[in-house]
Amino acid sequence: MMDTKLLGCVVLFPIQILFCILKATVRLLVPLKRKDLVADVVLITGGGRGIGRHLAKEFAKQGARKVILWGRTEKCLRETCEEIAMTGTECHYFVCDVGNREEVYQQAKVVREKVGDVTILVNNAAVVHGKTLMKSDDDALLKTQHINTLGQFWTMKAFLPRMLELCHGHVVCINSILSLSSIPGAIDYCTSKASAYAFMESLTLGLLDCPGVDCTTVLPFHTDTEMFQGMRVRFPHLFPPLHPEVVAQRTVDAVRTNTAFVVLPWTMHLLVILKSLLPQCALEEIHKFAGSYTCMNTFKGRT
Amino acid sequence: MNIVVEFFVVSFKVMWSFVLAGAKWLIKPEEKSVEGQVCVITGGGSGLGRLFAAEFARRRATLVLWDVNRRANEETAELVRDIYREMVPPKGFRNSVGELQLFQPQVYTYVCDVSKRESVYSTAEKVRREVGNVTFLINNAGVVSGHHLLECPDELIEKTMMVNCHAHFWTTKAFLPKMLELNQGHIVTVASSLGLFSTAGVEDYCASKFGAIGFHESLSHELKAASKDGIKMTLVCPFLVDTGMFKGCKIRKEMAPFFPPLKAEYCVERAMRAILTDQPMVCTPRTMVLPFDAIVCMYRFLGADKCMYPFLAQRKESTNNNGMKPGM
Repeated sequence: MMDTKLLGCVVLFPIQILFCILKATVRLLVPLKRKDLVADVVLITGGGRGIGRHLAKEFAKQGARKVILWGRTEKCLRETCEEIAMTGTECHYFVCDVGNREEVYQQAKVVREKVGDVTILVNNAAVVHGKTLMKSDDDALLKTQHINTLGQFWTMKAFLPRMLELCHGHVVCINSILSLSSIPGAIDYCTSKASAYAFMESLTLGLLDCPGVDCTTVLPFHTDTEMFQGMRVRFPHLFPPLHPEVVAQRTVDAVRTNTAFVVLPWTMHLLVILKSLLPQCALEEIHKFAGSYTCMNTFKGRT
Repeated sequence: MNIVVEFFVVSFKVMWSFVLAGAKWLIKPEEKSVEGQVCVITGGGSGLGRLFAAEFARRRATLVLWDVNRRANEETAELVRDIYREMVPPKGFRNSVGELQLFQPQVYTYVCDVSKRESVYSTAEKVRREVGNVTFLINNAGVVSGHHLLECPDELIEKTMMVNCHAHFWTTKAFLPKMLELNQGHIVTVASSLGLFSTAGVEDYCASKFGAIGFHESLSHELKAASKDGIKMTLVCPFLVDTGMFKGCKIRKEMAPFFPPLKAEYCVERAMRAILTDQPMVCTPRTMVLPFDAIVCMYRFLGADKCMYPFLAQRKESTNNNGMKPGM
């Protein structure tokens, strides 16, 4: 009897895969059912500026009940908070460096007491040092790992247990296409984003068993915010930088449709396919041609 | 140069690389000699590190073993000395004044916690002084906490990241400058197949291994961009190896015969072939080309999505007051 069961699985397996591919294709064409955010309290790390700021505005626009901003620069947090409050959504901000574990736990407690349970956690905070390995400062290398990767562990530990208790929650990670395909000149960033991607993939697989708690990971290409100021792609007409408002909109859409992984723009899928098929030296030639080897030479970052 | 011409040149180069790869597969290239060269192996006290030490010793390299466990490190060193003793002495070579010189390789051991930046730098300084210029750097040291994320003490999560990923920053920064100067060297990253595919329950380990691979790729591109073609890099991603580090891990039992845990010796043998023939990164299929539902289907079919759960359960039961188990 065990053998027939196994045989059944083996026969069904390719059919299942095909069905999943068909389902994904249909999802592209047919508008999907979108869950309401009216009961949700959203917390966005790095919410004071860049993509985080646009995410906060988008969540507020799409009906979130409360928005909480975490960041390191009070001025930016306050300005963003005021902007959102003016649209009628309750907004709070707290100064918190996600790279500091104790601070995360402390501020999480404050959030629970002052605002309530967080049901949507958006791990967006990130920094980039943007130098080659030998030119990188050791402390800066570590700082990037702590904020971009370890910070996500701590926020997850702070807020996920309650989401599991309530059987209601959503964890979002703003990652980067550089986690799947590295470039020279940003070794700290590529390492940290790759780690964060694995963390989310592992978590997503583990949470499949927890109804009501979902995950979304967004992998955008170069987005034109202050963070990567100065970086220059070779063919900007073919691969224009993304606008942060668009990244924010696609993220909130993904949350409302429970999409697990989003690559922006879709052309980046081709990059992943190429990487799977080509020998290393071929990839290097393509990188050189696409200008990846020199794009960080003009990098300025946040001034 | 005209963009169109450049595009054609690149396309040609891409196709040519396939031809080269095919040729390499048919006509196995010759293994390079490592005789007399200095090879640093982190985590040399056990598991794959010990086997790498034996392989390099057989090929007459000078070994430098780093491990946090002094006794295990010394045991590996003894093993290496036995190999050196059993080897047929070389014919020797004549030096500049015509005297016959016999090269006798040696093994050096250092206790070093690679998660501590200062420890790495000071030990590297000692190696440079006492041994010489390092040609091979095998970033092999690895640990796993063995707990689900929400049950894992924060210190253990940090430790996993610091040993498996951040340590590579420090060891590479310590030895790369000399390699760059001489335009000669080889950096090997021993990651894991869990650096290419994730599974549930071992979030810290997957994160650290993906990070190590991201680091390796990024550095690889940096070296290529700087045209330092004398420095080679090899990435080793073993599937589940039978060193006991992940004892208990099980995929779906019907599939198990198709994906048996690798024998550690086999794994190291294949890795050595890749290192000695300057094979760069492994070209691997990324599952992301399929919709996530299909990936989940695949994982569930293989029983790979929860394969680590029995390993985590075993760890919970076993009485290990330290909490961290390096590879055995």
